[in-house]
Order: sequence, then structure tokens, then C-alpha cells
Amino acid sequence: MARIFVIDDDEQLLRMVGLMLERGGHNITLISNPHNGLEQLKANKPDLLVLDVMMPGMSGHDLTRQIRETSELETLPILILTARSQDIDRDTALKSGADGYLSKPVTSQELIEQVDSLLTQKAQVSRQSGSVQGMVLALFGLRGGVGKTTLATNLALALRRVSQQEVCLVDLSLSISQAAFHLQLKSQSSWADLLANNNFDWPTLNDHLAIHPTGLRLLAAPPLPQAPSTISTEFVRQVITLLRENMIFTVLDLPPVFNPAFMAVLEISDVGLHVITPDVITVRTAVQTNRALANANINIKQKSFILNQTSPTAQLSQATVERALSGRIPFHVDYDPNQIQALPQGNPLVLTAVDSPLPAVIKRMADVIWKRMAAKMKS
Amino acid sequence: MPLGARNRINLDLFTDAYRVTGNTTVGVGGINAELVNPNSSYLEIKDAYVSRINQPGEIVTSYTTASFRKDNINFIVLQDRRVGIPVGTQHARSIFTRGRPVPIFLTVPSFEIIGEIAHEGKVTPLNTLVKSTGSYLLIFAAKASASLYPQIAYSGDLIMVSKNRIGLFCLGADNI
Repeated sequence: MARIFVIDDDEQLLRMVGLMLERGGHNITLISNPHNGLEQLKANKPDLLVLDVMMPGMSGHDLTRQIRETSELETLPILILTARSQDIDRDTALKSGADGYLSKPVTSQELIEQVDSLLTQKAQVSRQSGSVQGMVLALFGLRGGVGKTTLATNLALALRRVSQQEVCLVDLSLSISQAAFHLQLKSQSSWADLLANNNFDWPTLNDHLAIHPTGLRLLAAPPLPQAPSTISTEFVRQVITLLRENMIFTVLDLPPVFNPAFMAVLEISDVGLHVITPDVITVRTAVQTNRALANANINIKQKSFILNQTSPTAQLSQATVERALSGRIPFHVDYDPNQIQALPQGNPLVLTAVDSPLPAVIKRMADVIWKRMAAKMKS
Repeated sequence: MPLGARNRINLDLFTDAYRVTGNTTVGVGGINAELVNPNSSYLEIKDAYVSRINQPGEIVTSYTTASFRKDNINFIVLQDRRVGIPVGTQHARSIFTRGRPVPIFLTVPSFEIIGEIAHEGKVTPLNTLVKSTGSYLLIFAAKASASLYPQIAYSGDLIMVSKNRIGLFCLGADNI
């Protein structure tokens, strides 16, 4: 979620643009008087400004020039949104210092796409100027069918939406690419295509990433089932190292397999999210998994549980599960009937049903994770 | 639009030296009826933003209301042709639906304009300029370039050119 200021003297249009951006998941401040705009921008330092051109007393171009001459606002992304739709108007907007241009009337999709694109560009620039290492989150669990891919996909999308930073979802499944199915992406390549190349670099890896319309990237799993030994420790280390250098968030969806490669993934990840469902078999598996990890001296930097209720009735209460695991469960996803519809439609719930139980918890998780990362980036 | 209703349309209006962007209120007869309305020699533009021809992106001044002498208007750029085609000729068998497109080049003070007119029958300047009705020539998929600053151009789905302001007028494809 980005903080976006909109300046337009037409209050009706101002409200309409504000509504479009709010629906795109952003936090909006509306300003109808351009003369107050500069001071408010200086005081609040938003992430992006949407600016009209034709305003009485001060044109959007004049205000853009003033903003560019103000040291604390010189990198503020500015999107000009105007009824003047000629090429010369676009040129004038860009010459005055704006970063993007859209002519009215504009559709909600065009506006949100352009805003997201500018926010991503800004994030890339600030990332290039700094050297922040991205955060790697691994969702794991040795019991299948607990909704791990659903959670990983929704978490990656929520992180993308809340941060507007580069986010990559890695589907390390050994069967078919489930994440691609969740996102309705027809990926042409997968991590299996990288296996032949012993020493691939970032451009090569980047070529194998599919891009979702939200900007989320996906390293898909291969279309055919693979043996667990296919993935080596060196391979996953290389993939994660490159993604850590080039993405702000990498979300790994690990298969229910206990082998050296996946243990290595857990060791180098910043956060390990153990996904369980409230039933006896899963909880027992989780207890044994914890023991196995301890016996193998696998030290996860930060570990947390997600209790995901995938059926209408829970076999065990949260308190019982916590007692069995000897630990608190910070994230409990209630049964979400909408998920049955979301999966075949390829519309993850964080994009379509924000008030539904699953996206509500996922959004809270993404907020917590992004706040921590934002603080790291600032420092 | 029901009888008596008023509608607001956005337009770019050009005189010899100025570009004015704004909106005007039209009745059931559309912009054409307002332009030929004999009760007023002026066209009223709301939220008028004025630019000079040589710096058309920059706004020199703006006013809530501005009035234009109609005989001083060179042309009007519209982004949607439905706004400019005379009411009653937009559908069925009007010249604008059955006419064939004819390439055109013409000049008005400070500008040259290219595009297509919809024409039926023999294509001659006499037919197009004199025998056609209305005081504005409708040029579709049009582009107006400033004569002294040819890099400055304006495109529109429709450009309405005042027939009284036309200097040079060429019909058909470029033969040279």
C-alpha cells in the first residue's frame, strides 16, 4: 500500500480518482487547491503524486517544476493526469519533470497499472542506490494438502501490493506447477530449465521468471514430476542468492520433502513459516518435523507457525495445537469457503475478496513483514 | 439526448495565435448548433486554459469563462467524432456513414491540416466547400500542424474547420 497524493481542482474528478486508487489498495490524500500542494507534499512526503494540469492560478507543470526544485521532493514520482491529450502535452509534462502521463478519461485499470509501474521504478532506483539484501520467506511443512501453496501465493501477492517492491514467488514443488495454476499464468519455463546451467547469473534467472499482471514474479515448477534428488543444495543456494540480491521479497513454497536441499533452504531463509492444519496427523507430523530439524542441527533464523483451517470444522482447537507444539501460533487462518471458487478461477483471494478470512490474515502478515523490511531499508 | 437537455463537451479550440482548452455546454443540436446559432456571435467556453501556439503545452492564463467570436475560430479539435457530427446525421444513411473517405489537405491562418472528409458523389472543391451544408468542414482522423513550428501538431478523431478561414484547399491523394 503506497501513500498517494492527488491534486486536482475538479472535486468530482478528484474523488473519482481517489476511489480508483483506494480500490487499487493505496492510501489516498486528496487536495483540491494546488497552492497548498507543495507545503502538504513537503510535510508528508508521499510515495507518489497524481497531478492535474489545468488548475486555476497554477498549472500542473508549474507545480511539477517547483517540486523538482525542492530538494526533499526531487525523487517524488509524479503522474500527470490531464484532459489535454495531445503529444505536445505529454512532451511538456515529461519536460517539466513528471515521470508519467495519462490523458483523461482514464480507466481504473490504466491508472492503477501506471501508478504501480511508477512505484516499482522508484523502488528499483532506491534499491540500486542502496544495497539492501532482500528478505527470503520459506513456507514449509511435511504434510501435504495443508494449503501451503495457497498461502504462499496470497502472501507473495499481498507483499507485492503492500510494498510495491519487487517480489518473487518460487514454486519448488516437485510435481506440477501449482502456483502457476493459482495465478493463472502459463509459464513457458521453470526452475528445471536452469538445472542444466551450472553457473547461471541474474539475467538468465530473470529470463525464466513469469510476470503476473500485478508485477509479482514467479519461478514456476516444472510441468512434469521430478525426483527429490533433482534439486541440489548448490542449486537452491544459487537461486536464493540471486533473488535476495535482486528482489525485496522472495517467497519460497517448499515441497513436503525432507532432504539436504530443502534443509539448506530453511537455513538460509530469513523467516520459516511452518504451515499446519488443526488435525491430529498434521500436528503430529509438525512435532516430528521440529524434532528432525533439531536433530539435523537446522537453525531457522526466525520460525513461526501458520494454522490454516482448510475444512469447515476443526478437529483440534488452537490452544490444543499450541500445547502440542509448545509454542504460540501467531497466525490462524479460519476456514474460507471462497477459496474453493478462487483456485479454479485463478483469482487469489487477496486480489478479489479482501474482507474474506484468508486474505484478512495474509494482509496482516504482509503488513508486519513489510514494516520490518521498510525499517531495514530506511536504516 | 432528450429535448431540452444540455451536455458538456471538452474541446481544443484554435485561433490564429492561441490554443484554448476547455468545455462548452451544448443542447440537443450539439456543437454544430451552437456554432451556427444566429442569436450569438460568441461561443462561451468554461474553464478556459489559454496557451500560445509556439508553446502549446504551457498554460499562459486560465479563466472560469471565456467568450470567442465565432468568426475568429480557425478550427476545433475533438477526440470523439460523435460529438462533432451534426445531430440527425450520425446514424443510418447520412453522408457520414455512406460517404467514402477522401484525403484532404488545407490551410488556415498559422496551420495546415490533413485528414479525410466523408464525401459522396463527384469530389470537387465546389461540391465540398460551397454546395455542402454548414459553416464547418468536418475532417476525420485529422492532424493540424503549426505552419511556423511544424514539430507542433495536434491530432483528433475529428477536426472542425471553419470554411471561412480556409486558404489553400487540396482534395485527393498527394500527386507529386
